Amino acid sequence: MDKPILQVVDIWKSYEDLQVLKGVSFELREGEVKVLFGPSGSGKSTLLRCINMLNPPDKGEVFLRGENITDPNVNINAIRAKIGMVFQHFNLFAHLKAIDNVSIGLRRVKGFPKEEARAKALEVLQSVKMEDWADHYPAELSGGQQQRVGIARALAMDPDVILFDEPTSALDPELIGEVLQVMLDIAKAGKTMIVVTHEMGFAKAVASEMIFLGDGVIIESGTPEHFFVSPKSERVKNFLNQLDVLYGSHEKLLK
Amino acid sequence: MILQDRPNPIRELLTVLEYWDHIFSGFLLTMWLYGWALLMGFVLGLILANLRQYGGWLLSRIASGYIEFMRGTPLLAQLFFIYFLPSSLNIPVGDWEIVTSFTILNKEITIILLNYRTLAGLITLGLNSAAYQAEYLRGAIMSVGTEQLMAAQSLGMSRIAGIWHVVLPQALRRVIPAWSNEAAYLPKYTVVVYFIGVKDLFAQAHFTVALTFISVTTYVIIAIIFLVTITLISKGLDILHKKTTIPGL
Repeated sequence: MDKPILQVVDIWKSYEDLQVLKGVSFELREGEVKVLFGPSGSGKSTLLRCINMLNPPDKGEVFLRGENITDPNVNINAIRAKIGMVFQHFNLFAHLKAIDNVSIGLRRVKGFPKEEARAKALEVLQSVKMEDWADHYPAELSGGQQQRVGIARALAMDPDVILFDEPTSALDPELIGEVLQVMLDIAKAGKTMIVVTHEMGFAKAVASEMIFLGDGVIIESGTPEHFFVSPKSERVKNFLNQLDVLYGSHEKLLK
Repeated sequence: MILQDRPNPIRELLTVLEYWDHIFSGFLLTMWLYGWALLMGFVLGLILANLRQYGGWLLSRIASGYIEFMRGTPLLAQLFFIYFLPSSLNIPVGDWEIVTSFTILNKEITIILLNYRTLAGLITLGLNSAAYQAEYLRGAIMSVGTEQLMAAQSLGMSRIAGIWHVVLPQALRRVIPAWSNEAAYLPKYTVVVYFIGVKDLFAQAHFTVALTFISVTTYVIIAIIFLVTITLISKGLDILHKKTTIPGL
């Protein structure tokens, strides 16, 4: 196997008195899809924000292709351009049409000329099946459509890795399928991804490894088969049961 | 019963209107002051709002302090302070002026665009308006939310680039309805410059009253001029708001 794209080494993070992460480490290789799951408050979103330094860790290091990005001397903006992020609440730029949401990073960060950025953005919108909505503002799109534009916005930058922060948990049930399908396509195309999600159907389909996070530490990790056939800890078993009872699985939604 | 010569409103109106050139030049000067003070207040207010929101511990406190001070002290006191400051420090202010004049309907109208008095008035109005505009702008910036800036940074934009390309384009659209308050107040506030001898609309009204002894009619005319002007400003900003609006903003 090649060298890991991303190494997360002993990440600690607290908010005032609350210790959210207590030493989390893992590695991510080219083309891998890592699914992070666990109860709310276990630090999943915080971990993602530590990885792209939107919320720098108190302790620990993150290496992107061997470069220590927690070093205060690195140009963090240039690093973030290589780490895509998809948000739970989409966070599309409300004043920009779908196409401009996708092209703004190309223009302002990568310095593409206007026409070139537009052409590339349109191409990426096609890959998430949103090209017909290119000239609509976010408020004119459904949640599922907004999230697909959000994914396109991250994809357009050709990042080394994309972080998904509960991308479907703010969506109405009937809209989840279209977003999961797009994520599945991207994963199958070989993108390296870290996905915080409770969509176990998605995890089963594409995860190369699943990580169960609880109380700020990795409680158990392994392949989807491991988790769905013989999880070790009682907490994981209970959690998976609860997920099944509450949400069922959306396996049917995935082709 | 003593028969008094009751004032004839029509005759009074016509008498006052004979001095239309004074009133007109005063109006132009008021609008001149207003335009520059609003612009200066906007630029400075935008800087203050950003410092207060993003400036970190020290700069945001300095900006807050400035805003509170300017909003908490009388405008007239601020004007006198700035007007008298140079002479109290023995700094000569000079006897200079920039004048423009033109002829309209056979009357020559002369306006002092800038001299020491006008400059002091302009600076005071701009500094004062900045404090109010900063608060409107800060409210709009806050309403955009931190998620938008976070999304911009996740693409690799610097904080400044995110504020410039993502936060401000939204905040400036959202601020128009609230900001039009300041745009409507400021023309009325400009009358303070009368007290340092700038020949604005109010000063010209006073001059007209001194010549004609007709006070109520004169000031009613001035009031109507303000009313019409401010109505037009509000309407214009309404149109601007509708033209720049974006679904969902």
